[in-house]
Amino acid sequence: MTAATRTTIEQLLEANQDLWRGFQGATSLDHYATGFAELDAILPSHGWPACGLIEVISRQCGVGELQVLLPLMRSLIASGRWIVWVAPPYSPYAPGLAQAGIDLSRLLIVGRGAAPAKAVPAKDALWSMEKALQTHRCGLVLGWHNTLAQKAVRRLQLAAVTGGTLGVLFTGSNSDHSPSSLRLQIKDSTDNKGPYAEINVIKARGSFKPGTARVRLFSPFAERVIR
Amino acid sequence: MIKSPSSTQLTLLPQPHRTEVSNVPRSLKSATEGVVQAKAARTQTTRQSLWYCLYLPQLASLSELEQRHCLDQLAQLSQQFSSAISLHPQALVFEIRSGLNYFGGAQSLHAQYQSDVEGRLASLGLAPQFNYAACPTVEGSLLLARGGGNTLVYRKENLHSALGQLPIETLGLKAEPQRRLLNMGIRRLGDLWRLPPAGLRRRFGSDFLGLINKALGKAPEPIKNYLPPPAFVHSYDLPYEVENTGLLRPVVDEMIAQLCDFLRHRELCASSLTLSLVHERRAATTLDIGLRQASRSQQHLMLLVDTHFDNLQIPAPVISLRLEATQFDAFISHSESLLTGTESPSEHTAPSRHRQAGKADDSSASLAQFMERLQARLGSEQVQGLESVEEHCPEYASAPRPPGRYEASPLSSPSPAHGSGNADATSNPRPLWLLDDPVKLTLRRGGLYHRQAISLLNGPERIESRWWSGSEVSRDYYVAREAGGSRLWIYRERSGERHWYLHGYFA
Repeated sequence: MTAATRTTIEQLLEANQDLWRGFQGATSLDHYATGFAELDAILPSHGWPACGLIEVISRQCGVGELQVLLPLMRSLIASGRWIVWVAPPYSPYAPGLAQAGIDLSRLLIVGRGAAPAKAVPAKDALWSMEKALQTHRCGLVLGWHNTLAQKAVRRLQLAAVTGGTLGVLFTGSNSDHSPSSLRLQIKDSTDNKGPYAEINVIKARGSFKPGTARVRLFSPFAERVIR
Repeated sequence: MIKSPSSTQLTLLPQPHRTEVSNVPRSLKSATEGVVQAKAARTQTTRQSLWYCLYLPQLASLSELEQRHCLDQLAQLSQQFSSAISLHPQALVFEIRSGLNYFGGAQSLHAQYQSDVEGRLASLGLAPQFNYAACPTVEGSLLLARGGGNTLVYRKENLHSALGQLPIETLGLKAEPQRRLLNMGIRRLGDLWRLPPAGLRRRFGSDFLGLINKALGKAPEPIKNYLPPPAFVHSYDLPYEVENTGLLRPVVDEMIAQLCDFLRHRELCASSLTLSLVHERRAATTLDIGLRQASRSQQHLMLLVDTHFDNLQIPAPVISLRLEATQFDAFISHSESLLTGTESPSEHTAPSRHRQAGKADDSSASLAQFMERLQARLGSEQVQGLESVEEHCPEYASAPRPPGRYEASPLSSPSPAHGSGNADATSNPRPLWLLDDPVKLTLRRGGLYHRQAISLLNGPERIESRWWSGSEVSRDYYVAREAGGSRLWIYRERSGERHWYLHGYFA
């Protein structure tokens, strides 16, 4: 009886692409490697999804929320796509980005104005982000919003899926229900070997199990305590 | 003054070549018919043409651009008399024989033209001084006008005597050949007629002889016709007042379609448009539509108009619309790839074929359109690229730049300039975020404090720069960690009160 049932399940799984085992994860999905083995291990497709919206939650700025995306940016630029920064909170700093191996000619910074930086209204920022996500050549679209209505998040998610692009939304707080593909929280912790980043997968499409990865995001210069 | 032409001179002269041809018996003619007829046709056209030259010696003192502008203006004026206009240094020449009957003879044409030219010169801030002449050849009329003007020569046979009066200085030769001519005892052009052409060619080159032959009508004179710059202005009066962009849209669509037709006929693209919404008793609302990639696709232009309309509050009812193309670009067709099986042949003749030429081109076009829409809605200063500047002072080392025109081929590795910047920068860490204005840090219980306590991780890196500019930079930079985990880039001033500042985040 059990053997017979197992075979039918196997047969069903083979015959029907829409069925999968809950904890197996959809490894066949298109994905980009994150560049951090510990993080790859806990993500359902063993990497960033190929399209969709990722929410990165960090309580404060500077805990490594950009560092975790740098390998992704490099690989997207190598494949000829653009990185769009929509209304960033500070000025992206060219020498730092060049140091991280990012080709500056593939960056597009929207809504940061000329020298006297004046930000665009939030409505325009969302509009730009949606349009950028719908443009396939914009491989990665970065946006910053602290409180965003679910409706807006859903629109961005939809735009990313139709455009085949990846959007990253940096927020400061976690909302319970969000239509995004992937929700991560980055925190900074310290153990006896020094500080590390704790990346917590709150929600991921295609997986039920939340996971936590310990990743050293910063290069050694930012880890050693001198005083 | 122009010599008043006698009526016999105005009528077409009997043409020896043509009569010869017609006298040839039919059987003989058929063998050489093509050649002879072509020859006859050529002689006929050169016989018939009469070139009017306007020469403005005062232009020589102006810059090349101003000269060009002035001649363009005059050429536009001349278009009412002739369709064949050519521009020359400080002069313009146009054909008047074809319109002589219509304008009532050379005398009245000249009178009409003269007053127009004087008015136009006054509006350009120039004195009403010019020479004019007319004769059957372009070079001849130029020489006559340069030699003093006021001459009218109807028949080619009279060119020898008319041009013969001119001093050789009118040829505008270089100093050396002119000196040699004078040494040979040649003072007037007439003296040249007596010399054997072969000898002249040997001494002064074939260009010189070509000039003489052209002036006398012995050699063909290809001219470069003046073409007026393209202009597209189209307006439409609405039958009733409209306050809704949704109702304006179909009208604009129709106008854009006409613009696209106009562009297609001239193998052009528009790179800048102005759409004006005219109101009653109020200044018109103008939308400046700039294109990153010149286009003549109706859908593309309409998309940009829609983006402008999305953000537009119409201040008053619109009574009329006006569309003007302010900048044109040559149309560059994308070559189709030979082996794309997915494309149907009908797409090759589609109006917006450059958007359908292969997948890569399609996506590059969509990126350019995306940038255009951003610029249309947010303003071009809000859409920026980023570049690294070779500058020691941190806040000047990063600068916005206009996002480069997209190239179809993926960019190769970063340019050598970037490479050297990297090599310099790798030794010392640089943050990903830079604060526009450094934030002053406080000291609390002997430790640094921002929002939380700060501990130093790495440093110091001493940066001293801009001592020449008054606002000297002399700082020690450190990498620091806030208690919450943020990696900071902070510095301490080395002069004054030695305050600590937060300058960036490593993020």
